[in-house]
Amino acid sequence: MLNGTASINESLRIPTITHWTAEPVVLEDVTCFQLVAEVRRSTRIELLPPGLHPTDPSTLSIQAWDVATSPWGSFAFAFARLSCRSGLRARGLTMAAVATTQAAAEGLAATYGFPCQTGRIRLASHYDAVDLDVDDSLRIRAVDARPLGVEDVQYTGTMNLAQTPNGLRLVQVEADHSPTQVKRLRGRIDHFTAPSWGDARLDPYEIVAATVAAETSILLPPVRFVCRPDVSAFQGTEKVVVG
Amino acid sequence: MQFGIFFELSVPRPFTRGVEYAVYSNALEQCRVADELGFDHVWAVEHHFLEEYSHCSSPEIFLTAVAAQTKRIRVGHGAVVCVPEMNHPVRIAERAAALDLISQGRLELGTARSSTWTELGGFRADPDMTKKTWDEFVRVLPKMWTQDNFEWNGTSFSMPERNVLPKPYQDPHPPMWVTVTSPGTEIDAADRGIGSLGVAAVSFDQQERRTKEYHRRIELCDPVGGFVNDRVHTMNYLYCHEDYREAARVGLPMIGEFTTLNSHLYWTREAYPTPAYHALGNIGQALKQAAGSAEDPSVRKGLPEGLGVGDPEHLVRVIERWESIGVDGINFVLNTSETIPHEAVLESLRLFAKEVMPKFRQPGDHTSPVPTVLTRSTQAAPVEGTPASGLLESRTLASGVGSADPALTGVAN
Repeated sequence: MLNGTASINESLRIPTITHWTAEPVVLEDVTCFQLVAEVRRSTRIELLPPGLHPTDPSTLSIQAWDVATSPWGSFAFAFARLSCRSGLRARGLTMAAVATTQAAAEGLAATYGFPCQTGRIRLASHYDAVDLDVDDSLRIRAVDARPLGVEDVQYTGTMNLAQTPNGLRLVQVEADHSPTQVKRLRGRIDHFTAPSWGDARLDPYEIVAATVAAETSILLPPVRFVCRPDVSAFQGTEKVVVG
Repeated sequence: MQFGIFFELSVPRPFTRGVEYAVYSNALEQCRVADELGFDHVWAVEHHFLEEYSHCSSPEIFLTAVAAQTKRIRVGHGAVVCVPEMNHPVRIAERAAALDLISQGRLELGTARSSTWTELGGFRADPDMTKKTWDEFVRVLPKMWTQDNFEWNGTSFSMPERNVLPKPYQDPHPPMWVTVTSPGTEIDAADRGIGSLGVAAVSFDQQERRTKEYHRRIELCDPVGGFVNDRVHTMNYLYCHEDYREAARVGLPMIGEFTTLNSHLYWTREAYPTPAYHALGNIGQALKQAAGSAEDPSVRKGLPEGLGVGDPEHLVRVIERWESIGVDGINFVLNTSETIPHEAVLESLRLFAKEVMPKFRQPGDHTSPVPTVLTRSTQAAPVEGTPASGLLESRTLASGVGSADPALTGVAN
C-alpha cells in the first residue's frame, strides 16, 4: 500500500481553525457542479501527505457550488480535490478553494479548514450545458446533459489540512448532498492554471465525467474526526471534542 | 459442500523483478497441493492494472498451467470480463473451449463486467453499457460453443456466419457463473440459469436471503445455455491451524490486507456517475455491517462473520452454518500479498483437508469428478428453444458435479 510523500508544511495553503463548533451549516438552494479528471500517475504520491493513500488513477475533482442561502449569505464556491484514501475511506484532499465573498471564505476556512481565497466565480447552468469560470485560472465547458437518478452521483468526503485545536491535522468534512435533479455532461477544461489550484504538477489531462445537480440543500455537519497528516488514519485518527 | 481456492494473485511491494514470478509459482504449487488434497475448484480472477491487489490479467494462461499440472481439480475462469473493449466474445468462447479441452472437461466459466474505474477507464469502456454487454455475452457464449454456424447482430458486436472453434470438451458446454458482488446480481444469475459465484464477503443473514431468492427464481428461469447450473458459491478466507489463537494471529492480518487493498481500489461510481454501478464494491458492502463505523477513518472493522480462520473445530462449525443456509460451495482466498508464508499456506490447506473437509463429504464421495462427456447431440441446434426434456437432463448433469454416481464421472484422468 502506498502512502503520500508530500512535505506537510510546504505543499498547501494552511488555514486555521481556532475552535470546534457543534452546529451544522446548512446551504440552501444550491447548484452543484462537479468535474472529475485523471491526473498523471507519476505525481500521485508526491501531492498527498503521508497520512493519505493515493488512488489509481489519481483524479482531480473540481466542484463548484452556487449557493442562494446560507449563514454567510449567497455566494459561490469552487474547490479542487485530489482523490485519496483515508484509512479505508474514499476521500478528496482539497488542494485549493475560492469563494466569492469574504464571509464565506472566512467561514469555510475557520469552520472546516478549506484553504479558501476570495475570487470571481461564474457558474452558469443552461438547459444542455454548464459553464464554469474561476478568476483567470479555470474555464470549464460541459455539454450534452443527460438526466441521471439522484442516487447515481457520489460525492466523496473531503480532507482539509489545517491548523486546529488538536494541532496540524487533516480535517474530515462530510458534506451531505440532497440533490433533486442530476445531469451528467461531457466536460472540457479550456483553461487550467495549475499553480493557482494548489500545485504546478497538477495536470488534469483525461476528463472522466461532469455532473450538475440542483440541490435543496448541502448540509455541512460539525467536524467529527481529524487525522494526523504524518501517519495513517488507522493510527492517527482523533475524535473531535467540542468546547 | 464443495471447496475451492480463489486467486487474485496479489503482489507485495516493492515490485522487484522476480516477485511476480514468486507469487505465480507459489499459487501454482498451492493448486497442485489442493488438487492432491481433494479440493474441488481453483478460481482465478481477471483484473487489469490493479497494482498489488491483483496481477491476474491473463487468468486463462494461469489456469492452463493449473490444468496441466493437476488431475482432478476443476479450473474456474472466474471471472472473464464481458466487456467488448476488454474481451471480444468470440475470443472468450475460443479460449474457454481450449482450456476445457486441455483440462479434459474441468472448466467452469465465470462471467463479470468489472467494477473499477481503473479497469473500465483504462480500456475506455462505457460503464453505462457493461450490464447490457454482459447480458449479451452470456447469451451468445453457449451458442458459439454449440452451433456450427454462428451469426450475430447484437448491440455490442455483430459478425457474419462462422464456426467458432474449438468446441468445448464438456457437452453441451462448461457450467457458467456470474460473480455476485452487489445485491440483485444473484437474481440476474437465477433468471439466466447460471451459478451464483459470490465474490464479496456477506453476512449469514444476507447470504440466506439471497440464496433463498436465487433458488426460488431459478426454478422459473429461462436458461441462456444448454442446462441450468443452480449452484451458489460464496467467497471466504482460509487459514486453518491447530491453535485458534495462532490461526487468528496469522490469518486476520491477511484479511486486513485484503480489505485495505480492496477499499483502495478506485470504484467506477466514484469517478463516473451512472445508474449501472450503485454498489461501492466488495468492501463497501462489508463496511455497512460495521455498526457505528460509518465515517471513522480509523475503523478497520467491516470484517464479516463466518470467516474461515481458526482451528479445525471452529471451521467445521462455520462451514456447517454456511451449509445450513443453502450455500453449495465456498471458495477460499488463501493469501494476500504473501502476508502468510507459502509453507504456512500449504500447511493450512493440508490441515483443512485432513480435519475439516471429511466432515462435509459423504462416504464414497469422489472429490471433484470430471463430468461425463455425452454425445454432442445438440451441437448444431440453436440453444434457444432447448426442449424441456433437454433441460431436465442437463439439470441432472449440473447437479451431478460432485456426485458419487459413476455414470456421471465417465472420464477419468
